[in-house]
Amino acid sequence: MAKADRPIVKRSLFSWVFDGNLRWQFLLLAIIAVAVFTRVLPLEMQKRIVNQAISLRKVDLLLTYCAYYLAAVIVASACKFLINVLETHIAQQSLARMRIALYEHIITLPLSFFRNTQPGTVVNSIVNELAVPSNFIGSAMSTPVSNVLTLLAFAAYLLWLNPLLAAISLSAYPAAMIVLPYLQKRANAANQERVDVSRTFSGRIAESIGGIHEIHGNGAYRIEKAKFDRLVEQLRKIRVVWSLYRFAVKSTNNFFTSLGPFLVFILGGYLTIKGQLELGSLVAFLSAQEKLYDPWKELIEFYQVYQDGRVTYDRTMEFFDVEPDYPLAPADRPAFDLQAGLEVEGLSFYTDGGIRLLDDINLRLEPGEHLALVGFSGSGKSTLALCIGQLNKYSGGHVRIGGQEVAGLTKQDMAANVGIVAQSPFIFEGSIAENLLYASDAVARDDGHPRPTLDDLIAVLHQTGLFVDVLRFGLNTLLTAETHADLVKEIIRVRRKFQEKYGEKLADDVEFFNEQTYLFHSSIAENLIFGAASRADFAYAELSRNDYFLGFLEQSGLHPLLLRLGAQLAQQTVDILGNLPAETVFFEQSPMNADELPDYKAVVDRLRRRGFEDLAPPDRDRLLHLALRFTPALHKTVALPADLQRLLLGARTALRERVSRDLPGVFAFYSKSDYIFSQTILNNILFGKTKRATPQAQEAIAHSIIQVLIERDLLETIVEIGMHYNVGSKGEKLSGGQRQKLAVARVFLKSPRLLIMDEATSALDNTSQARIQNLLETRWKRRSTLVAVVHRLDTIRNFDRIAVMKAGKIIEMGTYDELIARKGALYELVGRK
Amino acid sequence: MSSLDESSPTPSCEYQENLDMLRQTYFFSGLPLESLKIFAYLCTREKFKEGDYLFRQGEDDGEAFYILCGKAQLERLAGGGALPLRLFEAGAFIGGLTLIGETRRLYSLKALQETVCLVLNREKFAKTLDQFPGQRPRIFKAVVDAITDWEERFLEGMAGEACGGCATKMGVSLL
Repeated sequence: MAKADRPIVKRSLFSWVFDGNLRWQFLLLAIIAVAVFTRVLPLEMQKRIVNQAISLRKVDLLLTYCAYYLAAVIVASACKFLINVLETHIAQQSLARMRIALYEHIITLPLSFFRNTQPGTVVNSIVNELAVPSNFIGSAMSTPVSNVLTLLAFAAYLLWLNPLLAAISLSAYPAAMIVLPYLQKRANAANQERVDVSRTFSGRIAESIGGIHEIHGNGAYRIEKAKFDRLVEQLRKIRVVWSLYRFAVKSTNNFFTSLGPFLVFILGGYLTIKGQLELGSLVAFLSAQEKLYDPWKELIEFYQVYQDGRVTYDRTMEFFDVEPDYPLAPADRPAFDLQAGLEVEGLSFYTDGGIRLLDDINLRLEPGEHLALVGFSGSGKSTLALCIGQLNKYSGGHVRIGGQEVAGLTKQDMAANVGIVAQSPFIFEGSIAENLLYASDAVARDDGHPRPTLDDLIAVLHQTGLFVDVLRFGLNTLLTAETHADLVKEIIRVRRKFQEKYGEKLADDVEFFNEQTYLFHSSIAENLIFGAASRADFAYAELSRNDYFLGFLEQSGLHPLLLRLGAQLAQQTVDILGNLPAETVFFEQSPMNADELPDYKAVVDRLRRRGFEDLAPPDRDRLLHLALRFTPALHKTVALPADLQRLLLGARTALRERVSRDLPGVFAFYSKSDYIFSQTILNNILFGKTKRATPQAQEAIAHSIIQVLIERDLLETIVEIGMHYNVGSKGEKLSGGQRQKLAVARVFLKSPRLLIMDEATSALDNTSQARIQNLLETRWKRRSTLVAVVHRLDTIRNFDRIAVMKAGKIIEMGTYDELIARKGALYELVGRK
Repeated sequence: MSSLDESSPTPSCEYQENLDMLRQTYFFSGLPLESLKIFAYLCTREKFKEGDYLFRQGEDDGEAFYILCGKAQLERLAGGGALPLRLFEAGAFIGGLTLIGETRRLYSLKALQETVCLVLNREKFAKTLDQFPGQRPRIFKAVVDAITDWEERFLEGMAGEACGGCATKMGVSLL
């Protein structure tokens, strides 16, 4: 069995057959043994039915043998089903293990590997290519064992019936075994080429999609199509060749196996006519001979599955057979706990193409000292920082952290002692809390470090200035009565307090829920209902299909007006967003979601062709649905006509009266004493919605709410809720500044000995920038060594050392005052800035 | 069958107004309608009260402003105080360069009275331009033209002894 710690790329395909599947494989063997017996038994029963029961005219024997026959058939079918279940289980289990192991291996490969590898290639290998060998693994044990046993059993039975006839009829199989491997070899060669071409094919598709802007921008559809056509043709040809060889294997096999019955008829028929063979024996012989075909066919197919699986597996593993630059974890010791003094000696770094980016870098930092790397873009600052952080494998010289050569440290050593904030930090899909804990969890799992507590998280949010952002995420959360019954009561109290203290002051910034006025920051549905549904069929999203509500719209004369409004919105939105990708930035001001766009495109197309009056009911529903979502302050492509606004306001009262009469309780109308579950916590506190998005307005509202939340001791509760906010794919729901703050916070939370910050605060506002700078100086100086690539020269004054870089070299180094007094490169840089 | 004209956009909608205004700015006027529509759609209107800062010196807020109404003053922090420099009024477009690349503000801009602006940020600008990479040269040309025009006007108005020692620092258009 393969060792678990052997890299997947070094493992053979066979190692997966038993790895983790041993007990299932043994169970499979037991079932196969039963299955083989139940396959042979009917043959003997056939013979006895003809020779004994029918010839001797004994009904009781006939019934007995038929019962045995039937039982054997039933057991054989059950065995076949169980074998299939186990094969599937083993195949899928192994596929999952292979995927995990390959993914685990791939993410440890050097960064240079990914510069030359398309993501599509990786995706294709993990998702598609591994499925082929897994088919083999599922049947690797069962198919050969069961079919070889069956073949042997049938062959033995045939030999027992008539050795001469058996020998002649079986002679076709060895002949087949001479020809078939030759054909299979050719099929394998074609399959290898198919795997290679498929990989290029996937990479090319990924490249084209990645560069779709360039294709659109240059109108290069013809060029791209031509490139793609060539690959498609290449793939088509190779697949045809591969398939032809596969079919040739099958056809040749069929030919040889069909020769068997021919020989039996000739010889068996002759022997029976001459009375040297019983008729029953000939029938049994013919049946057994015929049944030889199935296991043989299965064996040949299995042979093909094995060959395809082997070729695909080997090709895939060869592609990823790259050594990680550094071992992941030390084999015989715990991770180092380094004193983070830093020495860089004669360091050089060359790209794969031999271009020198760093040359003879020398510097030394005592533990806790802070170094700023400054210089023009391209001077090598980030390259140096990445070499120190082991993300670039340096070409020459030494980098030592706590006296240990970085090139000799494992990834676990680095993770335990070094924290890196990249220039464009990557934020993963998930919650704020998950992203905050990302670096700490990685170390905690490796080293058994304690996990940060909630207090630690909140402290680091404060330190990095992310607290207010996370508070805002919390305030924008929808609560449910089931999970937050107590909190909603508290929020009603907060609302009262807020209204008392800040209601008038924030009148310009907040559109309060007022039954007498139209709410421009709320949707038409919200304006009409002025409340939230208590029944699912009256929820905002269902109103356009709710007969009661539709009846009201008809009677109030709103229906046709809203349909026209919906048509306008659909046309305008499709016109503007019709060809844009489904990114949040494009759809956050749109009345329709990205996934609804194709449907609305079709509706607009039908609207254009058939006209408004002939639109089908489902299309009208969609238009009405869109109109009901229309929020004038947010959706600016259409104006809300003044007469419609008046009608809607009037309809609000009419609907309320009508619902109270017909369906009391179906809506919970907005009331200052009730929590509104369809609205966010913020809107519940405000009892309205914010009108202005300017930082000043946001700050004024946030400040007021924080005051009240502190008074009610709810601030951290809301922040805790905010930490569950999902930041979206690559953190797309966060601003650039928030992404940077989150990246800084997750490294601060880990509290590393050596901190590497590559322009880590470039997207922050002055206040946040100053806050983090201040924190570095007061909290981290003398505690953690810092190497910071700095663009803003107004922040470097208090660094212990400043290294000015130019063309891959440090051209001067010293304290700020020393370098300014020297009137050299830093002096010039500061002057320029 | 009713005509589509019945459901054509109301002329007074904000999107249409934004479109008209962007067409009047040097930065966007050279762009085809195809991309201009998206910029007009993505712009937001923001109201600044008297004393509010549209942006602050030293920050990289990444936003461009088109002043719809009101008045704002440019300031430069120096020697511990804010030095008032010039006024921007309705029709002014400020911050095109910040849409193109990350850059810190060299000035602060403060609303002197209630000021309403059309605002577009760098992320929206960049993601839209990603859809139309062929239009990047038009943007660069607009910026280059604006810088050259500015220096030309400056030279005409301020050159020689009128600007004192500034002549030694001329050549913004040579960057």
